[in-house]
Amino acid sequence: MASDILSITLSIAIIATVLIALFSKRVSVSLISLFYASTLLGIAFTLYGNALVGLMQIVTFSGAVSVLFLTVILMTGESKLDIGATRFTIAIAAGALLIVLFALVEISMGFGGTPPSSYPDMSLQTFSFLWEFRPWDLLILVTVFASAMVTVANLFSKET
Amino acid sequence: MVTDQTVFLFTGMALVFLGIASISYSKNLVKTVMSFQVVVLGANLALFASGLDTPLSSGLGTRLTTDTFVFLSILVGAAVEAVGLAIVVNVYRKYGTLNPSEIRKLKH
Repeated sequence: MASDILSITLSIAIIATVLIALFSKRVSVSLISLFYASTLLGIAFTLYGNALVGLMQIVTFSGAVSVLFLTVILMTGESKLDIGATRFTIAIAAGALLIVLFALVEISMGFGGTPPSSYPDMSLQTFSFLWEFRPWDLLILVTVFASAMVTVANLFSKET
Repeated sequence: MVTDQTVFLFTGMALVFLGIASISYSKNLVKTVMSFQVVVLGANLALFASGLDTPLSSGLGTRLTTDTFVFLSILVGAAVEAVGLAIVVNVYRKYGTLNPSEIRKLKH
């Protein structure tokens, strides 16, 4: 039952953020919403049993592709970050905070501690070691990508 | 009884349809690429959901297979979007606008 509520809540949040992303007239608002949608999808992947796919989702779409979008928006000059660099920074920082909180909850619940099975092979023990540290990995990654987005936003901003 | 699989499958389908609808009426090429990203997200979610209730073991039709396809789809989707954004930048340099109808007028 709790799992049903979680999946329905995540689905509603994902659809809401996607609707904002698609129907907002401001491109920067669309970008922020898309960042949130990708992050929520990564969280859903992680919660429903595949942390590797979830991490990849967050790294690729919330991180790299979002920075790429931001660079293109600012290069083409169509938007000029119409909500302002400060608000944009706050929105991205809030998204990063969401992921950090999620990772902390995951750490506190002990999700990161136990590998799925005992690995007899030495090479598989490496994966086991990495598995133990996956929430910490998430924390480091989100810090790096949030700072990359904020840096790019401020690099092209006229407020600086 | 609504399962997690059903919920995520319907969400994935909704994202795909929303993305396709947005691609068809979008008036900014950047937003068109964003809509394409929504389609990719929806496809990934549907693919992930299709393997939720299957056993976690080797072989076709299991969770490992669907997760591997999601992984590949994420990488391919990101690469396609990078190419799309590069095309958008080139179009902007050539025509000075990102509106598809204006670009069409400038071509003729």
